[in-house]
Amino acid sequence: MKYAFFPGCSLESTARDFQMSTLAVAQALGIELQEIPDWSCCGSSPAHSTDALLAASLPARNLAAARRLEKDVVVCCAACYSRLAAANKALADDENLRIEVSKVIGEMYGGTVRVRHFLQVLREDLGIAEIRKLVTRSLGGLRVACYYGCLLTRPRELSIVSDPEDPQLMEELLAAAGATPVEWPFKTECCGASFSITRTDTVKRLSGEILKMAKESGADCVVVACPLCQNNLDLRQADIAAAIGKEIGLPVFYFTQLLGRALGLSDEALGIGKLMTSPEKVLAR
Amino acid sequence: MSKATLHSIDSAFLLEMDPDGRLNLASCLQCGRCSSGCTMRLETDILPHQLNRMVALGLTEQMLSSKAIWACVSCHTCVSRCPMKVDTPTLIDRLRQKAKAAPKEMDRVRIFNEAFLASVRRFGRVWEFGLMAAYKTRARDFFSDLGKLPAMLRKGKLSLLPPPKGARKAVATIFNRTIGKRRAAK
Repeated sequence: MKYAFFPGCSLESTARDFQMSTLAVAQALGIELQEIPDWSCCGSSPAHSTDALLAASLPARNLAAARRLEKDVVVCCAACYSRLAAANKALADDENLRIEVSKVIGEMYGGTVRVRHFLQVLREDLGIAEIRKLVTRSLGGLRVACYYGCLLTRPRELSIVSDPEDPQLMEELLAAAGATPVEWPFKTECCGASFSITRTDTVKRLSGEILKMAKESGADCVVVACPLCQNNLDLRQADIAAAIGKEIGLPVFYFTQLLGRALGLSDEALGIGKLMTSPEKVLAR
Repeated sequence: MSKATLHSIDSAFLLEMDPDGRLNLASCLQCGRCSSGCTMRLETDILPHQLNRMVALGLTEQMLSSKAIWACVSCHTCVSRCPMKVDTPTLIDRLRQKAKAAPKEMDRVRIFNEAFLASVRRFGRVWEFGLMAAYKTRARDFFSDLGKLPAMLRKGKLSLLPPPKGARKAVATIFNRTIGKRRAAK
């Protein structure tokens, strides 16, 4: 199984552990991820808030480069996935946009490459049953609150899950790895995302509600598939705990980190040490 | 909020915001499902279903000067739950693109967008360390989160060096051909 890989800016910095664990898991599962040469930023929220043509052209340049690799594009960052998939669909649907974008990026690209999140590849191409067979170190009933946030589930046309209000994709995957997913109602609430820097109090309120609910639902940890969610729930957790005057103590893993552990990979290879909220206690059980 | 009268209704703005009808703005039933699920419902000044009606009434200035268009976090809960598939997030994008300025309390969002795009324009990718420095200078927000810096550097979550050069030229061209010399978020 070979794919064109779009890491995105976060996976090279704040989400370096997501990148490390993704590459390690892919290798262990026999999935080849070929990085798109000289990939560039997807534009994220600032681009679509500023100019529609810019917001379509930045992803289009990367998708056109991926087309030359003749493989599906795999993305891990939820924001990059959302921007690439949205631009891809817009280019496929709108001829005028296609022509305008071709003038900007210097080639015609018609939204023909398939853009997929790594979770989709694991379930659809490899399969949960196959993954279960490769588990060498069960997660031992670790109670996980799978948290999807916004950009993997909405809007419906771009959703990687069949039910955007109650997704089960990460639950199925982690159950195969020996975890016990908890039932909880906030898995698609918004953490405040890109307001982390500009409206930190908003993010603390929204992320605080999510962490409190995960805790009340009996989770040992939270599992995410988005660098923005991970940052807001992990990096800001100590501040949130101080503000509500209660200990939270919920490590926030990327799904690839827990899956990697179940596949017998080392904590070092998975970047477990880069988490801010210490996972030692829950992993020692 | 000022009142619209029968004679003041101006559909030109609706057509400008949704020229080919793809956003389904004219289909809004005012059921309020979008607003009850809105992530920012406690902090915004105009709720999504109100925006959808205001655009139909042509209340252009009130929308462009609102806090709401900058408070939107683009979570897409509104459009996902809408029975008529009214694409409020794209309407809000178009309003932000058209707005000349943001209200004072929301200006940090606009400044961040501008600093983010400046980083992409220059380096082809976001250089987070440089972005934070640029944002903090422009927003005059020097001290927040400084305490997190040592741990982030130690854990390799922020790089003091900018990203590799490979994509810079092509991305600079994309910026020149789209938003041109115009400053990012204006």
